[in-house]
Amino acid sequence: MVSEPLAIQARGVCRRFHEGEREHIVLDGIDLDVHRGETVALRGRSGSGKSTLLNIIGGIDAPDAGTVSAAGIDLTGLAERGRTLFRREHIGFVYQAFNLVPTLNVADNVRLVLELNNVNSVKASERINELLDAVGLADRAGSFPDMLSGGEQQRVAIARALCHKPAVLLADEPTGNLDDATADAMLALIDQLVRTRGHTMLIATHSMHVASHCDRVLELHNGQLEASTGR
Amino acid sequence: MIPVTYRASFSYLLRHPWQLALALLGIGIGVAVIVAVDIANASARKAFLLSMDTITGKATHQVIGGPRGVREDVYTKLRVNHGVRAIAPVVEGTITIDGMTLSVLGIDLFAEREIRDFTGEAHTRDAGASDRSTFFADFFLTPGAVTTSKQTAEDLGLIVGDVFELLADGKTRRAELLAVFPDGGNNALYRLLVTDIATAQEWLGRAGWLTRVDVRIDHNDEATLSALEAALPDGAQVLSAAGRTRSTSEMSKAFMTNLTAMSLLALLVGLFLIFNSVNFSVLQRRALIGVLRALGLTRRQLLAMILIEAALLGLVAAILGVALGIMLGEQLLHLVARTINDLYFRVNVTGVGVDAFSVAKGLVAGVGAALLAAALPAIEATAYQPRLAMMRSALERRARRALPTVTLTGIGLMIAAVVLIVFSGKDLVAGLTAVFLMILGFALCVPLVVRFAAIGMAPAAAALGGTTARMAVAGIASGIARTGIAIVALAVAVSATIGVSIMVDSFRGSVGEWLEQTLQADVYAGAQRGAMDPALVAAISDLDGVEAVSTRKRAWVEDANGQTQLRVFEMPRASYAGTEILDADPAAVWPAWESADAVLVSEPYSFQHGVGAGDSIVLPTGGGPREFSVAATFQSYDINASGIMMSRATYLRHYDDDTIDSLGLYLHNEVSANEIVEQVEALSNDWQALYVTSRAGLRQESMRIFDRTFVITNVLYWLTLGVAFIGILSAMLALQLERARESATLRALGMTRTQVGGMITAQTGIIGLLSGLAAVPLGIVMAWVLIKVINRRAFGWQIDMSIAPDILLVSVAFAMGVALLAGIYPAYRAGRSQPAIAMREE
Repeated sequence: MVSEPLAIQARGVCRRFHEGEREHIVLDGIDLDVHRGETVALRGRSGSGKSTLLNIIGGIDAPDAGTVSAAGIDLTGLAERGRTLFRREHIGFVYQAFNLVPTLNVADNVRLVLELNNVNSVKASERINELLDAVGLADRAGSFPDMLSGGEQQRVAIARALCHKPAVLLADEPTGNLDDATADAMLALIDQLVRTRGHTMLIATHSMHVASHCDRVLELHNGQLEASTGR
Repeated sequence: MIPVTYRASFSYLLRHPWQLALALLGIGIGVAVIVAVDIANASARKAFLLSMDTITGKATHQVIGGPRGVREDVYTKLRVNHGVRAIAPVVEGTITIDGMTLSVLGIDLFAEREIRDFTGEAHTRDAGASDRSTFFADFFLTPGAVTTSKQTAEDLGLIVGDVFELLADGKTRRAELLAVFPDGGNNALYRLLVTDIATAQEWLGRAGWLTRVDVRIDHNDEATLSALEAALPDGAQVLSAAGRTRSTSEMSKAFMTNLTAMSLLALLVGLFLIFNSVNFSVLQRRALIGVLRALGLTRRQLLAMILIEAALLGLVAAILGVALGIMLGEQLLHLVARTINDLYFRVNVTGVGVDAFSVAKGLVAGVGAALLAAALPAIEATAYQPRLAMMRSALERRARRALPTVTLTGIGLMIAAVVLIVFSGKDLVAGLTAVFLMILGFALCVPLVVRFAAIGMAPAAAALGGTTARMAVAGIASGIARTGIAIVALAVAVSATIGVSIMVDSFRGSVGEWLEQTLQADVYAGAQRGAMDPALVAAISDLDGVEAVSTRKRAWVEDANGQTQLRVFEMPRASYAGTEILDADPAAVWPAWESADAVLVSEPYSFQHGVGAGDSIVLPTGGGPREFSVAATFQSYDINASGIMMSRATYLRHYDDDTIDSLGLYLHNEVSANEIVEQVEALSNDWQALYVTSRAGLRQESMRIFDRTFVITNVLYWLTLGVAFIGILSAMLALQLERARESATLRALGMTRTQVGGMITAQTGIIGLLSGLAAVPLGIVMAWVLIKVINRRAFGWQIDMSIAPDILLVSVAFAMGVALLAGIYPAYRAGRSQPAIAMREE
């Protein structure tokens, strides 16, 4: 594992937010190395900066100081459009709130990302069938999100996140809206898909149980990554 | 202190200022248009009535005669032989000074005291009102002595003692401003010139004739009235002064009713907008409503909260609308006054008068419309279960389920409109009500049609533009609860422009053809106002190159039922073909018309009075009321629905008036019209100022006036479209707010700003396209109703409907343009949405 090249590298990442006169230092000189194929849990209390760090790694946000590279691309200095194209190609997102497009059916929700990546329609259909099969929703391809349960919606979101074979999967409290049984099944599914397909995953969670599924656990506390534990 | 629940609710609006501003603007403009039209109509009417009342003074009755008026010896006999003292003779006409048109009132100053005060209140700058003897003497002795109101003198740049020139009856006259009198309440005496009766008779070519004799008879003094009636010769009659004023002002009633209807259309579009705003604000607060309901807010309390909020919103918007309406009213007033002057009677308006009733109407319209529009979303909100109140998809499902019922209601309203048209006879208000029912009914059918259209378009959109395009189209169908109302508002506004454009275009075409057929002579010459000099008529008729001449006289006859216009013609038989006979054999009609006391009635007259070929009508003549047979109905687009065509021979037999207004000159083939125009101008130069024009010139001028009368219509429809534009903008912004998370997700997934913005733009473009397409059938139906029902009932015209494809194409393109324009900012906002939002939990 350690011999694998780095999928994510962060050095001295700082991020501050202003609320009126007050300044909140959310990330204060974060250094992070995640190897290709590795799964890492990022733990911390609410407001500790987990999502902010995920946003920075995913190119959604930019740090005030420090450098970040992911999938071999240095995000430092990338303009907004450059970061968008980076996200499109190299990152997969799974959210707590699923965030499926309500006007598209299951298959089209997945197709959307493939289309953005200019995958031709034949290949896209193959990939959609494969992914929906893998997440157990092959028979719900024509259903719309509001007809699915929370667990089913999250499975669509996972299929959408992985369909374009991203180098890095970023998951932000992916089981936060699910009951325990569904959450366990979901974690098992993510674990299986990520490992068999060789994706790198960074998962933000406050749950020890969720974190236990990962190779490493990092604690984010007072803007710093403090301790890491093996699986 | 405001309850916390209300504060929680209101603070939502305050935190969405653009949504609040657009809602206020939408209702405000709707109210403004209503108030503006009301003020303009009321001000024009009031100005006319005030002016008439002031000029009529204390007269309760007026003695009138035939088209030329009353012979002046009638006045002398009434005063001397019958001892009627409270009477005053009047000669009225119009003159121009430096292009400004003024009314001239010729009076006998000694007789005035019993009737009018202002004529005797004139005073010179130096002497003041006290020096009455000098003023009276000068009024009679100074050649061309006139008095006028202070404001009129000021606008003409005249001061007391100035000698100036005026144009009366086509001739230049010298006048001297002897004194000025007060302006009268509301400037009622604006543009009025008072002179001695003999001077007025000379200037207006009315030697020996009076326009009327004003009479004051005490209330209930039937004996004096009877004695007066008995003393009058044949052809003269005494009528109520107030009744005459009223019947004149009624002439413009149909025009004003139509304007009011158009202003109501703007409010109707505004109503959709308010519905949209309130609907959005309720939908977007479903989480808050859910929480409040969960905490124990009753349905009744929730209903009250939403309705009170809507009423407050309506009130604030209505106040803004009234203020805007007053400003807009000033602009509209000039257009209204110009149209009335072009078509009906002279009215001089110096400023808008804002009465409490107009303001109250605006406020009630604003608050009422807001409450009406809020009622449905408010009732819907109270029906939510607290848990369901938080689910957007549940709302859309409810909306989708309601669509068939809404559509059936719409079909029901359209059927009701048809029934109303069929069974309401000639009633204009019922016709306009039917138009509104039709619009409302159609509007209710639009959402379902749009939903199916959007669903149907989705595969094609996906094939053409991929998943992004599919999302753009699918978003319309799935968000029909949000997009539907905006589409309806735009569709109604665009359909109104289609309806009115087709109506005006058809009308223009019909009038153009009618003019082409009716204008048979090569050159037309006539007095600007009044009659042509008989010697000049003879001289023009004798010009080389003139093969034949037709004469025309427009004369008004009047009785207690109102005024009737006689169009008196003498024309070469070859030009009879220019008059289209609608209900009889022309070969039989013309001989009877020429010599057998038969008249032709115009189509509007026929429609409004229910007479046609074979019937008879009674007209006041020099020998008293007389029956004339109606030989036929002829096609006419004259604004005066009271047109009767009479041969000159018949006219001369029954009326003591041999004057002529204008001539039509038929030229030898080789003679050019322009050459004759120049010759007539040269001939008339030192004689009497005439308008001289070729057939083409007259046609052009007629069409120019036609187009001018529709300027106000266009202004109102642009305002209506403005309201619809705000509706689309508001809807798209609200939708964008609703879908902020969706946009953020798309951005997080890798869609660029341009792609997200482009998707929103495509969506608004499709909304515009669907609105435009939906507007086409309604526009065509509306045009049909306007042409066949409204115009027919208001003016009696029969117009051939023609649909120019370019009107439809331009309207659909216009709807798309409006929607795309309104979509620019929402698209920009959506493109700028922060992907990080998607990461946050709801």
